[in-house]
Amino acid sequence: MDIQRISNQDGHFACSKYGQQWAGPDGDRLTLALALLKQLSAETIALNSFADQLEYTPSVRIDEIIQVSTGWIIDEDASLQLHAHRKGFVVAITESKEEPRWPDFETTEIPDETQNELNERWHAEVSGVSQGAYVSQAQHVLASSSRLGLMAQVNQEKLLWPPRQLNSNGQRIDSPTVQLSETATILTWTRLSAAGAPSEFSGRAPVLDGVGTVLVAFDEGPKGVFMLADDENGVPEIDGTVRFEIRRLYGQDGVIHYGLKAILTKS
Amino acid sequence: MVDVAMVGAGQTKFGNHPLGLKGMWSEAIEQAISSVDHGIQTTDVDEAFIGSIAFGGSQLGNTAALLTEHSGMEGVSVRRVENACASSGFALRDAWMAIKSGQADVVIAGGIEKMNDLSTSRKRYWLGVSGDTEWERLAGLTFPGTYALTARRYFHEFDSTHDDLVHVSVKNHMHGFENEVAHLRKQVSFEKAQSGFMVADPLTLYDCCPTSDGASAVVLVADHLAHKFTDTPVWVKGSGAGSDHLALHDRPSITQLRATQAAAKRAYATAGISANDVDLAEVHDCFTIAEVLATEDLGFASRGEGGRFAREGEGRRNEGHVTINASGGLKSKGHPLGATGTGQAVEIFKQLRNQAEPARQVRDAELGLTHNVGGSGATCAVHIFGRER
Repeated sequence: MDIQRISNQDGHFACSKYGQQWAGPDGDRLTLALALLKQLSAETIALNSFADQLEYTPSVRIDEIIQVSTGWIIDEDASLQLHAHRKGFVVAITESKEEPRWPDFETTEIPDETQNELNERWHAEVSGVSQGAYVSQAQHVLASSSRLGLMAQVNQEKLLWPPRQLNSNGQRIDSPTVQLSETATILTWTRLSAAGAPSEFSGRAPVLDGVGTVLVAFDEGPKGVFMLADDENGVPEIDGTVRFEIRRLYGQDGVIHYGLKAILTKS
Repeated sequence: MVDVAMVGAGQTKFGNHPLGLKGMWSEAIEQAISSVDHGIQTTDVDEAFIGSIAFGGSQLGNTAALLTEHSGMEGVSVRRVENACASSGFALRDAWMAIKSGQADVVIAGGIEKMNDLSTSRKRYWLGVSGDTEWERLAGLTFPGTYALTARRYFHEFDSTHDDLVHVSVKNHMHGFENEVAHLRKQVSFEKAQSGFMVADPLTLYDCCPTSDGASAVVLVADHLAHKFTDTPVWVKGSGAGSDHLALHDRPSITQLRATQAAAKRAYATAGISANDVDLAEVHDCFTIAEVLATEDLGFASRGEGGRFAREGEGRRNEGHVTINASGGLKSKGHPLGATGTGQAVEIFKQLRNQAEPARQVRDAELGLTHNVGGSGATCAVHIFGRER
């Protein structure tokens, strides 16, 4: 995500482009941390009390999300520490376990009602019980490297993404081992109004003026469908390109499900 | 091999029906039974196949046993058939195969859905249960979205624009206007259909079929019994089915439905005909772009010509080589998911026996086709019907 980053003698700090009062429509402290970690060379890092500052529990363990999507290894004995501000949406990487001195960031004015409405919708989603459009926890964990890290399987010299179980010979296909490129080409796109959005997104869709979705092709062959993020000022075009970032996808049964969303890079 | 005849067919009006599942199903059975010229008893029935998604969770388990219990068929071998919107297309195929195999002589195939007495949130949830939950729905897509993705790509690949879809909408509303059982019996002008509010860009309200209540049923019998029940049976000359990846993005092409192509090929082969022989077709126009694709995948138009086919009005009743959706299709007649496939067969039964309302009767039709698709093309059943055996 577009983050504001400050690096000083205390460490690396990041907040969203809106400032520290909001992490964006589908962002939070975890997505900010992932964006910051992606900008740095992967090492080991301790989570410290980071998890305690998250508003909601992720559906997949935080260490796995971080490792799969950024390459950073979680090690509680590591010298680098991940921090999150208790109130503001700011994260930091420092060498101290103590709470850092938080720098000031520029703030963009966001209508309070937009933030409040989206926060309420997220809360309602997370508090809600699935009516049945439900992916089991076992499946979420099994497919996490594909969902969060774009890992593809190899089957008869062809790459498969999303993952499958058996091939046409009835043989089990090995776990994903090949990382797809981090950009893809738009084959087609749509924008769903509130009426056309799946029920999981129907709360947020009207606030966001619909849900943008692209069907893209990776250079390696596989295709996939992704929701757009940060597309307030852009309209997708066929043959345009996107890159991917981890954001909140939806909330259900008390947890937040994270996954990749597409960001327009060229129209 | 045994030949299969359709000797009766009936359905409720599609739309906002005042009755629930038991009432609608018994009404459809009543209509089907009473349409059998020489009479038939429900006790004559050997097997029943009932297509339904059980929308809203209404009697999700043992649906068929409940429905047959309330339509005088207790004790009959029954089951619910579920293949999303193609549920009763596959119920029809299963019934056809039951007779073909020699295991049954008299079979009911039908379908049912109650969609319009649910809360908005429950309805919205159930409208998306047949896509790929993990990689489509929870990535932000329902069926308006998947068909919108297809439409935009189709416009990009071929000489076609949204106006071609508007022609489909206008035609189907024109056809459905005279249909007494249609949900949306209103004509729509080109300008109005062009300016509907956006549901999933580029698809507007007038590109989307309504959600309907309804039930439909047909009576199939083995050839040696056909003339016991009627002097004018409609023969089920061919049946074919196909499937494809559930998710649109997993398919090699997103502007063709391989399930339709496979089903059509098999159906034409079993009937011994080609697309050129078909006089009228009820095709699965859940969204207008779906009719454009269907005209190509069924062989009525060549690849990339579906838009032109619609633009030039080739599917209009009694105007082109083949009439497409004489009933009004899903767009106007309505789409009670599980009831749609056998509802299409009811229409063909009427048309081939010259029993449609005079204003919308297709002239001199000898061969009819039904095309019933599940989801965005994961499943498809195609049937060929004829006046002659």
